[in-house]
Formats: sequence, C-alpha cells, structure tokens
Amino acid sequence: MARYMGVDIGSVTTKGVITGNGKIEAFLIIPSGSNYRAAAEKLREELLAKVGLQPEDIACVVVTGHGTDRIPFGNKTVADMRCCARGINRLFPEARTVIDVQGQSSQVIRVGEKGQIISFAVSEKCASGSGRFLEIIANVLQIKLDEVGPLSLESENPVVFTTGCAVFGESEAISRVAEGIPKEDILAGVNKALADKISALAGRVGLEEQCAISGGGALNTGLIKRVEDNLGIKLEVPDRPQLVNALGAAVMAEEKSK
Amino acid sequence: MIRIYFAGVDIGSTMTKVVIADEGEKVVSRVISHTGAEHRRLANRVMEEALKQAGLSIDDISYVIATGYGRINVPFADKQVTELTCHARGVYQFRQGVRLAIDIGGQDSKALKIKDGKLIDFVMSDKCAAGTGRFLEVLAPTLGLRVEELGETSLRATRKVKISSTCTVFGQQEVISLLSDGEPLEDIVAGLHDAIASRVASMARKLKIEPDVVFTGGVAKNSGVAKALGKNLGCEIFIPDEPLLSGALGAALLGKETVMKALERGEPVKRSEHRLEEATFFDQVE
Repeated sequence: MARYMGVDIGSVTTKGVITGNGKIEAFLIIPSGSNYRAAAEKLREELLAKVGLQPEDIACVVVTGHGTDRIPFGNKTVADMRCCARGINRLFPEARTVIDVQGQSSQVIRVGEKGQIISFAVSEKCASGSGRFLEIIANVLQIKLDEVGPLSLESENPVVFTTGCAVFGESEAISRVAEGIPKEDILAGVNKALADKISALAGRVGLEEQCAISGGGALNTGLIKRVEDNLGIKLEVPDRPQLVNALGAAVMAEEKSK
Repeated sequence: MIRIYFAGVDIGSTMTKVVIADEGEKVVSRVISHTGAEHRRLANRVMEEALKQAGLSIDDISYVIATGYGRINVPFADKQVTELTCHARGVYQFRQGVRLAIDIGGQDSKALKIKDGKLIDFVMSDKCAAGTGRFLEVLAPTLGLRVEELGETSLRATRKVKISSTCTVFGQQEVISLLSDGEPLEDIVAGLHDAIASRVASMARKLKIEPDVVFTGGVAKNSGVAKALGKNLGCEIFIPDEPLLSGALGAALLGKETVMKALERGEPVKRSEHRLEEATFFDQVE
C-alpha cells in the first residue's frame, strides 16, 4: 500500500498526517518554536516512527504553511488555502464553504465538488482578524487557550472592543480587568469581535451551505457559536480542525502520485 | 499692577500636560507627567506642581480649560474644550503661518487644517495602533531600545529596511526575523520610522498639504520620524521646542481669550469653583 504525507507548518504548531488507502493512518501536532525547519524535521521523524516507516516508504510528501522554502524534504510545496479546500473536501464532501481561522490570518474559501477553490477572501493584514488576537487577550487574562471557548460561553454580557486593533484591544482588556469585569465577558467580547470580522469576510465571498470551519480557531467553541449566530447557519466542525491543512497536503500528495 | 493667569490642562492617553500663561501670553510654568492608570487623581497633582513652579496659588488663576481625552476628570476646570480646537490655537502661537498641523500621540494621530489659528478641517486615526506612537512603544523593546533612543539610532542608518506589515503585532514578528536575518538595527529603525510617517502622511493627504506644516505630539520628539515625515510630505516641517505642550498651551490661551471677551463686553465670566481635589466617579457621571 502506498503512503502519503502532508506537513503543515503553522505559526504556532506544526502538523503532519500520513494517509494510506485514503484514510488517516497517523497524525502528529508539535509546537513550531522559532525554527520551522527543525520543527518540520522533528515532526517527520516522529510521525514516521509512529507507524514504523522509513522516509523511502512514503510515495510523496507535500509541504504547506509558513517558510516552506526552507524545508529540506518534500516533493512539492502547495499553498495552504488549496490544502485547506482539499482537506475539508475529504472530511466533508458536501461542504461548499470553509472558514479557516489560523494563528496569523483568517480566510473564507468557497470549495467545489472536487475540493478545488472557487473563490476566497482573506484577512491577513491585521492581527485582530486572526487567532493572534485571542492569544494576546488570553495572555492578559492568564487563561489557557483551550479554556477560552467554554469560559466565553458562560458570558451574558460580552465586552465591546471599540477599535478593531489587537494592540489597543490588549489595553482595553487590561482596563476592563481593572474595572472588575469578569474574564468570561472579556473573552466573549474577543470572540464576538473576531466572529464579526469573519462574518464580514464570509459576506464578501458569499456563503454557500454546507459550511465547515477549520484551523486552530475551530477548537474555540465560543467562537464557533458566535459565527453560527452571526451567519444563521450550523457549522460542520472536524474532530481535529487544526489538522485539515496537513490532511489536505496529504490528499495533494496522493493526487501528485497518480 | 495685578497680573492675571490662565491655565490649560491637557490629559492625553500617555502624558498629562499643564501650561500656565499670563495675560501677555507668556508661559510662566509648564509641567509634563505620565498619565498612568490613575488620571482621576493626577490632574490636581500636576496642577499643584505647575503652580509651585510659578510661585502661584490656585486663586491666582483666572480661568482653567481642560482638554484631551481625560478632560472630564479635571474637577477644577471652568470649561472643557476638545483637543483639536486647543491644538490649533497652540500651534498657531508657535507659528502663525501654520496651515497644516500633524500630531502623533500615544494613542491616535491627527492632521488639522488651520487658518488664522482656527480649526477648519481635520482627519484622525485612532482605530489602529500602527499609525500612532504606540507602534514605536511596542517595537522599541523588541529592538532592545528605549523609545527615546529611536530617533538618534535611525539617523545613523545607511538605508531603510522595508517593513511590509501594516499591523503592529505582525510588525513585531517581522522585526524579530529581520534582526535574525542580520539586518543592521539602525536600518530597521529607519524602516519603522518611514512606515509610520508614510501612514500618517497618506492620512494627512486627505486634507490639502499646504505649508507651513507643524509637527507636534510625543512622536515629534523623534527626529527620525520628523525627517521621514518631511520626506513623505515633500516639504519642510516645523517642530515646537516642546511638541507635547501645544494642546495645553492652546487651552491656556483660549482661557485668556474667553475672559478678555467677557471683560470687553462687561459680562461676568462664568467660572466654576477651583477645587484642587481628586475627581471622583460622580464627576464623570454628572
């Protein structure tokens, strides 16, 4: 059986998937750290070890994400948005739109029947349109990222962030803490601000159901709820949404080998 | 002859400024202090300091105008006036030929079109940190520098590194990778100065760029940004000795004009009680 590998180097974590017969055989998520090349090499080694394979057992490797030109292995580099579309298509063949919320950008992609990109809109110029905004505020509140979703869902009075800037938002969050505003209201406010930006992006591409969500941002249940309320739809959420691009890269690797 | 005095109190996001001027428009006292989180308590402390410097008491002050974003927290003020109006008056005092004033503060930036000391039009940006002093405040420590050192550092640059991020947060990451790529510190700083200058210049271009151009606000103390702004606007720019004080100075002078106008008409001056005490939350509610 031929095996394929997809590697996705993100700003926060590096992800890898090995597929065989169209199924996921192994996956791994490790921190990217400051050296993407070292992270990518470590990921490949550990991922292969998980299934007891050697590099030559993999028919094709596709790499996507940040700094891919510095990665010494891989048969091909593919843009992350194409991988996202392919990955979501493998998981949810009926999905026609995917909302991808990453550490440094967000994008809404219209996906065709074969997982090809029909159109897209990206927010990558401003930290407040990405998961980075959440990281900054979670850090102010000394909250772990995986607690953000459940905590924010407890809020009934989301704080309003007035500027749409992550730097000013950080100051606003500090002021709200000083005023004694509960942290769940502040987190719900960030989720609302981020969901509003994402909804505006979705408005630009035009939303077509079904709609799925991917990327690290899709681990945040509070954000998902806000986006669903804004758009008036139900989102398909993968079990491991941060793996979608790596899976898509593996799907690309399968296609390259045909 | 009894001399009379006027005070302007400008509470900005980063700095609180007080100017006391006499009826001859001579500045007799000026104080600049960090605003910090407790600016409700600060205004009276800074005012006391300014009075002490001039050897005056609060009863010697005929009129107090408060301005800046914290202007509601000055319980001893007779009147609140927006910073734009005060600014226009302050820069006019420095340079009567001023037609355009550019102010880059800690939390916003603005361009004012001015004629004969009066505000005609303005544009401002306070929704994004990248066009404000905050951009430099965030990035200076990343470069291992204090904000005060940026100007001089950039003047040693042989070229400027292009900064592609338009966001302060992403700019921080970009600067880290530029440093690790071995780009010289001074060339990166020059690039940052050009980034903020070009952003503010393109905002100012919504008004007509007409000389004289005066540059004020805390960022005007940075000679590198001043140079970059001149280049971006394509004209000479003038900077007051103390570019932080134009709002407070304008407030003091507008106070004088308010009193003089009332005296000329023989009308009483509407004044509040000059209580030199801390503002409370109730002052804000009122």
